[in-house]
Amino acid sequence: MGIGGPDRTAFEWQGNWQAFLPIALTNGLLTIVTLGIYRFWATTRERQYFWANTRFIDDQLEWTGKGLELFFGAIIAFFVLLVPIVGIQFLAQYLVLNGMPVVAGILGLITYLLLFWLIGFAIFRGLRYRLSRTSWHGIHGGSDEPGTGFATSYLWKTIVGFIPLGLLIPWASTKLFKERWESMSFGPHNFVANPNWLNLMKRFGLFYVLPVLAAILGGGALWKGGDDVGSVGAGAAAAGLLVLFFYIALPIISLVYFAAYARETVGSVKLASLEFDFTARSSDWLMLALGNLAIWFAAVIVGLIGAFVFGGFGALMSQGGEVDPVMAMITAGSSGFLIILSFLIPLMLVGPFLRYRNWAFFIRHMEAGGEVNLADLTQSETAALRQGEGLLDAFDMGAV
Amino acid sequence: MSGRHPVWHYDGRSAVRHDATITYGPQGFEMAGEGVAFQSHRWADLAYRGEKREGALYGLKSDAGWQIGLPDPLPDDLRGFLPKPQRYGGFIDKIGLVPASIALVVISAGVIFGAIKAPEIVAPLVPMSWERAMGDAMVGDLGGRICETPESRKAIDAMVARLGSKGEPVEVNIANIDMVNAVALPGGKILIFRGLLQEAKNADELAGVLGHEIGHIRNRDVMVSLLRQMGLTVILGGANPDMAGALSSLASASFSREAESEADDYSIKLMQKASVSPDATAGFFDRLSEGEEELGQAAEAFSYLSSHPMSEKREKAFRESKLPGARHTPVITAEQWRAIVDACANDPDVKEGSDLMF
Repeated sequence: MGIGGPDRTAFEWQGNWQAFLPIALTNGLLTIVTLGIYRFWATTRERQYFWANTRFIDDQLEWTGKGLELFFGAIIAFFVLLVPIVGIQFLAQYLVLNGMPVVAGILGLITYLLLFWLIGFAIFRGLRYRLSRTSWHGIHGGSDEPGTGFATSYLWKTIVGFIPLGLLIPWASTKLFKERWESMSFGPHNFVANPNWLNLMKRFGLFYVLPVLAAILGGGALWKGGDDVGSVGAGAAAAGLLVLFFYIALPIISLVYFAAYARETVGSVKLASLEFDFTARSSDWLMLALGNLAIWFAAVIVGLIGAFVFGGFGALMSQGGEVDPVMAMITAGSSGFLIILSFLIPLMLVGPFLRYRNWAFFIRHMEAGGEVNLADLTQSETAALRQGEGLLDAFDMGAV
Repeated sequence: MSGRHPVWHYDGRSAVRHDATITYGPQGFEMAGEGVAFQSHRWADLAYRGEKREGALYGLKSDAGWQIGLPDPLPDDLRGFLPKPQRYGGFIDKIGLVPASIALVVISAGVIFGAIKAPEIVAPLVPMSWERAMGDAMVGDLGGRICETPESRKAIDAMVARLGSKGEPVEVNIANIDMVNAVALPGGKILIFRGLLQEAKNADELAGVLGHEIGHIRNRDVMVSLLRQMGLTVILGGANPDMAGALSSLASASFSREAESEADDYSIKLMQKASVSPDATAGFFDRLSEGEEELGQAAEAFSYLSSHPMSEKREKAFRESKLPGARHTPVITAEQWRAIVDACANDPDVKEGSDLMF
């Protein structure tokens, strides 16, 4: 079956935020009343919506993961990660207090390396879990590798990437992309990925060129200021340049680089005779980032308005001469509660809608060309993972 | 068999999509179509898998890959036979979103109440030696921020001895931190901040505060607070790492209002026994309460919410605790008091502390 084409792309996002809103709202409510435990089921409901509204060729994807799996994953991560770390911290503190700072230092270094290794492991397992729970035409993906090899590779390649002043970071990240994707399969087919890191170096060079440029401009401003009477103005200009550099220029370079990285890596992925492509340009990424920022601002502003309204109400009630202290307490307590709620509700919606936007962005810019032979696309024989990406979550890296 | 409905079907072996028809009745259904092996299934074997744009998806409990989709609209009788859709999951779908939310709020409130109350029962059972080990590990020597001279050490010891609290020894130190405060820490440790010494006019003022902190230690309030914080961190943190830190420290950083009042009572009793005048401590609270007066009615309301009783009330409690006919003497000599106040200035190798620590 031929796919793609100018009028009908292989991937299509079919969701809308009005349909997603009730999911986000009820997820928020249930997450609050369960002290956060519901968030695993909330994530599952979100993904069910995202996947079910993502059309690939002639049918939507299906998310088959369960909340309970994510919950177990988080419990495992808690024991694998948190318990040993707390134990090691106590041990290190004991060693320092008992005059063994060198041993404590070595222990700290080993812990740090181990954590790094675990991040690689978590990235692999997270991808593997998501593919194994993604179903299309009743067929799912997965991997038979445990991810320990990838984790070791992640550890040393990342370190090597940083050693020559960070110049090999694109090499490390593209190699790691290839390694983890080529360990994955969908149905009977293995993924193939051959990104070329040299294609990224021009944009990566911006990270080195821009600071030099900023230094020259800043130095120039200071030098020119020396001639003028008010060198305060020149100092301010230099400070302004610094702010401009860190808050505007650096994020934009990161975006420009990441746009190239996503195009290069995703664009190199093949599955049987399918070839994938990712079309988002830097300007698309910029719009995504600005939109996400706007959602944050909107939530904070709505929260602030709510807080002012309820705070003002509380202050009004407690004024006016003789007030029964019990009444005053109830007023203060309830207006405090309303202030917290007026912040909590908009902020609870930020996460879901950022994930919504990110997923929709990802799908809108995904393309695929080639053929899919449905009869050859037989069921995956990869072993099913029993727990979700708790470890990835624990590192705060869960993207969707 | 009572009706027929079109379905789409994936067998889970290959990606080929089959269009088929089911013929259904109260017990189950039969499916037939081109390229589909004729098969019959009971409703009980079917599981809801989710909603697709064309209609709901159902799978077989015994076969993870097998699925059928039923295009909308569904006839009512068919809808009645099919497994109920799952929206929120588990028991929430069974009893409904609102009743489930109310039940969950009650359970959550109970769990938090338990985490706040249980430490009061558990804390006294923790051996003091454990608490001491914990205190040593957590506090150490405060990174060299403790002010001490031989004279100040003697003076503090004299003051603690005069107050004569019965029980395991307490360890009182002066911290080189510019805050008007004193804290009780795990393992019977008390820290008096330099700012408090500068604010206090004489040793008797400090005696009331010291008695108060000793009261916290005797009542095991420190352990209660520690257990409370650990409990809340585990409960809230298992699921919500980002919110846990902020919330649990908010809920447990300070002692409860009851604990504060009891520590005041303890301090008053110590001073009565030791014949130390409570007037000075009362005067100290009087000076602190001047700041609160401006808040007026609002301060009254906030004292219910905040952990410390209002200085005004504490002042009254101390002032009225004077026993008739009691003869008071200063808790320590003026010289000893000077040694305490000047400890930080006279200690040559003390480090300056940041007030952000507490």
